[in-house]
Amino acid sequence: MLSDKEILATLEMVQNENLDVRAVTMGVSLFDCVSDQIDLFTENIYRKITELANDLVPVCNRIGTKYGIPIVNKRIAVSPIGVVGAPFNPEQMVAIAQTMNRAARDVEVDFIGGFSALVEKGSAKGDLALIDAIPDALTETERVCASVNVASTRAGINMDAVLKMGQTIKKAAELTADSDGLACAKLCVFANIPQNSPFMAGAYHGIGVADAVINVGVSGPGVVKKALDRSLASNSDLDLGHLSEIIKKTSYKVTRVGELIGREVAETLNIRFGVVDLSLAPTPNVGDSVGEIFQSLGLLSIGVPGTTAALAMLNDAVKKGGAFASSNVGGLSGAFVPVSEDLNIGQAAEDGYLTLEKLEAITCVCSVGLDMVAIPGDTSAECLAGIMADEMAIGVINKKTTATRLIPVPGKKAGEKAFFGGLLGGSVIMPVNNGKGANLFVRRGGLIPAPIQSLMN
Amino acid sequence: MNKVIISVLGQDRPGILAAVTKILLERDGNVENVSQTILQNQFVGIFIVSVPDHIKTDALKDELNLSVKHLDLDIHVKQLVYDETYYPPVKSEPFIITTKGLDRKGLVAGITATVAYYGVNVTNLQAIFKGGDNPGDNIMIYEVDIPVDIDQQELEDALRTQAQSLGLTISIWHRNIFKAINRI
Repeated sequence: MLSDKEILATLEMVQNENLDVRAVTMGVSLFDCVSDQIDLFTENIYRKITELANDLVPVCNRIGTKYGIPIVNKRIAVSPIGVVGAPFNPEQMVAIAQTMNRAARDVEVDFIGGFSALVEKGSAKGDLALIDAIPDALTETERVCASVNVASTRAGINMDAVLKMGQTIKKAAELTADSDGLACAKLCVFANIPQNSPFMAGAYHGIGVADAVINVGVSGPGVVKKALDRSLASNSDLDLGHLSEIIKKTSYKVTRVGELIGREVAETLNIRFGVVDLSLAPTPNVGDSVGEIFQSLGLLSIGVPGTTAALAMLNDAVKKGGAFASSNVGGLSGAFVPVSEDLNIGQAAEDGYLTLEKLEAITCVCSVGLDMVAIPGDTSAECLAGIMADEMAIGVINKKTTATRLIPVPGKKAGEKAFFGGLLGGSVIMPVNNGKGANLFVRRGGLIPAPIQSLMN
Repeated sequence: MNKVIISVLGQDRPGILAAVTKILLERDGNVENVSQTILQNQFVGIFIVSVPDHIKTDALKDELNLSVKHLDLDIHVKQLVYDETYYPPVKSEPFIITTKGLDRKGLVAGITATVAYYGVNVTNLQAIFKGGDNPGDNIMIYEVDIPVDIDQQELEDALRTQAQSLGLTISIWHRNIFKAINRI
């Protein structure tokens, strides 16, 4: 018999604290669809995706209702198209993106990831064609997400690819100038990309993974904040050790929800269960914000001195609680700080508490990186490449995933607002300090070698 | 040995369990299961007791009532029978129904009438009434077993309609979500 306290606490988490499963993402391998005939290839991938994912949305909805936990997003991630579509040219790559988009629309998922290339050590023909196709592909489709892994701890940083991505982002922004560079919101540049993240825009289906898997992204920043607030209301003197313990326990609960629901979706669809990604992922809604947690911990706003330490504690506690709650943890697992998708973080940027430099610093200790950051439209491709190279270096040296999702908003300056709509939200455009002038360093190209794994200071 | 079920009801105070079990021990009875609770100031206990064959239920009832007269308790004794024709076992899934809303007459009657109509068994019912004007302060929790072969959607729709007519907000969630979140 459950106690009334257990039942009431659960009701509270779901009904008032935005506890949900943020994403159930079906990973689909496309290796058995390979052909050098574009028509045959697109027909194969359409058939495979729609057959496997046909019941994804109804099953998720049914299971969400059964447990009272909304599954907010249902998504698909496929094998990196740069690999499985290696024979094709950029125009054909765009046709592949359109097929992915059609498949996603027909099974009613909101995003499909995997328009991706893995180029950390060098770019093959297919990878280059894919990168060239990204601006058009993301402009002509609504649901396709692209990602490019340009660096890893074992390979180093492919600076040719970093510069190319700077140019690609510029072009993608220009092509979608009328929607504030929306195409860039669907494009992530990674170091150490995980093979099994359920979260967009960086989700793809890894190469050493089963034919199809179900990965789950849990969320719950609102639940963590309310748990902290409740404890502090009854004892305002709690120290950080106690607060960390509260975050850990809450993260356990949130992860158990993801595990339960993910396993049941996988079992119902007769597909292998992949991982639970323990991420605190915000949405642009009040009470569903990672930024608000910093205020509960005692900071004036995310961005002020103390932010990096607070985030380090938060992230570690989330991982500890989540790792105990699930045997299959993977993906990005940590706190997300997407500027435009989190009302509180967006406000911190607008109020001047959070700068690009501070954001870069905190990505040393959190799960992603410079995520959904709107910057001035006149930011050059070289400057973009420099920002990305810095972010990649943090990931490579610290053996962690980092990424950028930068949006140089065409025709807009720092301080103006950009709007992307829906979950992508909107935010003030953050200034890029000292970004003018030539940047010969990023133009030199080549590979920054993989870092030494000893002498860790 | 015979099995009997004994219910004890009355104002809570020290010594109820001691008085009841003393008589049972003297009659060579063995307490197999007990469940007791206190609601406001009222004690209620249910005992399943194995007793020697010669003990008659009516006699035991009279003896118990007589011996605890000073405690002002109401005691009933009944022969325990296992007869599946009363409620044949059906394959079911455990769900938890919660309702929130202002206290008024007929809330439990309304909800349980609907669940009974669909053959749903209530295994536990808790009402948390704090009173006042906040609907969130008045919550009822029904743990139920929903047979797998009934139309769940129809049941849910019927419950929602019933809840709405009673001014309640209702949730009908599988028990496992509560277990997963709260238990290791």
